[in-house]
Amino acid sequence: MPIIRRLIRQAVVLAFALCSLAPRPATAEPVTVFAAASLTDALQVIGDAYAGRGGDKVRFSFASTSTLARQIAAGAPAQVFCAANVAWMDDLERRGLLAAGSRVDVAGNTLVLVAPKRHDLAPATIGAGFDLAARLGPHGRLALGDPAHVPAGFYAAQALRKLGMWDSLARRLAPADNVRAALALVARGEAPYGIVYATDAAISDQVAVVATFPADSHDPITYPCARITDEAGDAPRAFLAFLTGPEAAAIFARFGFRTGRRE
Amino acid sequence: MLSEAEIDALLLSLRVAGVAVLFALPFAIPVALLLARARFPGKILIDGLVHLPLVLPPVVMGYLLLITLGTKAPLGAWLLDTFGIRFVFSWTGAALAAAIVTFPFQVRAIRLAIEAIDPGLSQAAETLGAGPLDRFVSLTLPLAMPGIVAGAITAFAAALGEFGAIITFVSNIPGETRTLPLAIYTAIQSPGGEVAAARLAALSIALALAGLALAELAARRVRGMQGR
Amino acid sequence: MLSVQVRHDFPGFALDAAFDIDRRGIVALFGPSGAGKSSIVNAVAGLMRPRQGRVRIDDATLLDTEAGIDVAARRRRVGYVFQDARLFPHLSVAGNLAYGAKRAPEPPSPAEHARIVDLLGIGHLTARRPATLSGGERQRVALGRALLSRPRLLLLDEPLAALDQQRKAEILPYLEQLRGTLPIVYVSHSVEEVTRLADEIVVLNAGRVAAQGSVFDITARLDLFPLTGRFEAGAVIEGRIASQAEADHLSEVALDAGRLWVPRLDAEVGATVRIRIRARDVMLALDRPDGISANNVLAGEVVDIREDEGAYLDVLVACGADRVIARITHRSLHRLQLRPGQAVHAVIKSVTVDRHSATVA
Repeated sequence: MPIIRRLIRQAVVLAFALCSLAPRPATAEPVTVFAAASLTDALQVIGDAYAGRGGDKVRFSFASTSTLARQIAAGAPAQVFCAANVAWMDDLERRGLLAAGSRVDVAGNTLVLVAPKRHDLAPATIGAGFDLAARLGPHGRLALGDPAHVPAGFYAAQALRKLGMWDSLARRLAPADNVRAALALVARGEAPYGIVYATDAAISDQVAVVATFPADSHDPITYPCARITDEAGDAPRAFLAFLTGPEAAAIFARFGFRTGRRE
Repeated sequence: MLSEAEIDALLLSLRVAGVAVLFALPFAIPVALLLARARFPGKILIDGLVHLPLVLPPVVMGYLLLITLGTKAPLGAWLLDTFGIRFVFSWTGAALAAAIVTFPFQVRAIRLAIEAIDPGLSQAAETLGAGPLDRFVSLTLPLAMPGIVAGAITAFAAALGEFGAIITFVSNIPGETRTLPLAIYTAIQSPGGEVAAARLAALSIALALAGLALAELAARRVRGMQGR
Repeated sequence: MLSVQVRHDFPGFALDAAFDIDRRGIVALFGPSGAGKSSIVNAVAGLMRPRQGRVRIDDATLLDTEAGIDVAARRRRVGYVFQDARLFPHLSVAGNLAYGAKRAPEPPSPAEHARIVDLLGIGHLTARRPATLSGGERQRVALGRALLSRPRLLLLDEPLAALDQQRKAEILPYLEQLRGTLPIVYVSHSVEEVTRLADEIVVLNAGRVAAQGSVFDITARLDLFPLTGRFEAGAVIEGRIASQAEADHLSEVALDAGRLWVPRLDAEVGATVRIRIRARDVMLALDRPDGISANNVLAGEVVDIREDEGAYLDVLVACGADRVIARITHRSLHRLQLRPGQAVHAVIKSVTVDRHSATVA
């Protein structure tokens, strides 16, 4: 019996100790932001800058736009959503999940063809005579976001079709869950070529940009952001305002995004 | 009745799971024998290593495979240069991932079966002139057969459902590595893919039920062969 | 022919036994449970390696720890019948029988195979699975399996211990038939089995050999009674059938010191029989009694008296060349004033005829 009592006492002490490890709530709750994978690095720097200016802490969840959109539709506690394409944002808007009038485009991007960095890699132009299928070789695959559900993949497929290269490449794809995964495949050398955003290519020092896809070969790549209706409070509103402000724009530009606000 | 993509996924799943189990079996038997019978320092380590896939998140397992057997990794590069073997983006890689993740199921079942064999029978066989290898083939293996079959079927069923390790190691290539679980996942990710996902799920359930039925039949057959 | 010397330490007791057997018959290793009998046969079979020991069969040395010789069990060609039969469950009876035959250096000829199967009466069981056999059938198959591996020595470790009386009675005749065909070591703690089957007995107690000798000598030794089991103890003697009394369903057996009437034996006149007379079935009388129901009275002389705890004691009576033991009370001893040399009559209430064949020399 005394042993039991001692055990219970120790358990209670342990429980208290564990409680003290839990983060104390800030005076304000952190802002929960769901954002597309391709915004990862830029948004993290923006989040730090925001906190540095005395703003609230921001908690990010980065994943593919489709995954996040489904999660939000299923009731995930996101307060701000930054998508990598328009279709998913439209979808949520149709479902009435966005705070009215909060939707705004915060940045844009370009589509590039990348390859593992080699000293002898020569830049090329994507146009007539550019035979990507031949460049892949007998076993190579083209890494890209899954065209079925990843925005970057959708744009890539669009571009390939517009340029007449889709038929020769359709069976040579390595569709990835999100654009970062596609980038990783190229960085690791598993795929000799990949199609990613210019911003993604800039992050990795193991890949080099071989060519840029002509802007007219695909729909404009924009990143709409919006507040989710359920979430009340000023914190999300303040952060979204920061996202569209000059300081955030500068950070976006640093990472290679096009900042539409300028134009 | 089934679309081409669905048939692809189904056949691929069967192939990946089947190869995974058959490939792992010749390794599972000696490992199970070792764990059941031998006594040596460090046995607990081997035991733990064998069971690691059971507790390790499948994605981690896929990642480990990637950094050891990816085409640019030392071992993977060697395999590619020497034998032309490429696991990433290939169904063979999917089979390998499934084999490793389901290895513990086979080892456990076989080990239990071996441990259940009356050691007195081995003694009797010895007095009748049977050496260790002879006893293994004529006595241990047949008596452990129910365990071997059970382990293989369990592993097969688990391999059919393996997702994390496969998608991390060999990606999600339709017709090559897009097994049923990966196909369902892709369908769920795509806008309007709910119907496709439901169909694939139904297919998976039918497959699982068929597998269970076969397992029961096989188990009965083996028991019959042993006079039980 | 068989020479065994074994020393080994177990938790609780030390085994230190040595004995030589010079005959082809059945040698019993007899003693209470835990006396070390099984350990000795396991050492002979090669299933256990003693700390120190020597085992020799004829001119083959199977074990000599000091010389570094330890022939692997599978090469010793020592047949072993276990208490629990240990038939292989995944093989049919035929498969079990063939298991040993296949691995013998020279497999038995089909004729020999048939002979052994016939001898054990298991021919009709060949297609069956061990799980469907009765205990007695299983032991017979185990016996056949061991014999078909053509061993040079057969070990049986309490083969009947797990069977009920009826099954035991079924199998004993089969074991008797094996006598003389090859050397047999039979481990048992049952006096009944040993006195029926054995030609020679090695008595073990607490890891040591307490006595060794022919079955007649050992059963007549009063000092071994605590080991040989008080209740069933009794003398064993050999006699010949003198005549058959068909009308009474009795047979007359001639002993050195007289005649005994036993329940009718299905054997020829002149056949040798082995008789066991339990000490508790023998009464002593100073004069030849009249007017009693017992038919069997042997005249003899008191040779030895052994005191015991409790009300009873054992008296060894020599009836000619044979020995008979009587268990009587202290009171009776004093009343009759029995002492060594005293002439007495052994009145025998019941006689167990154990065997219809002669002891093997």
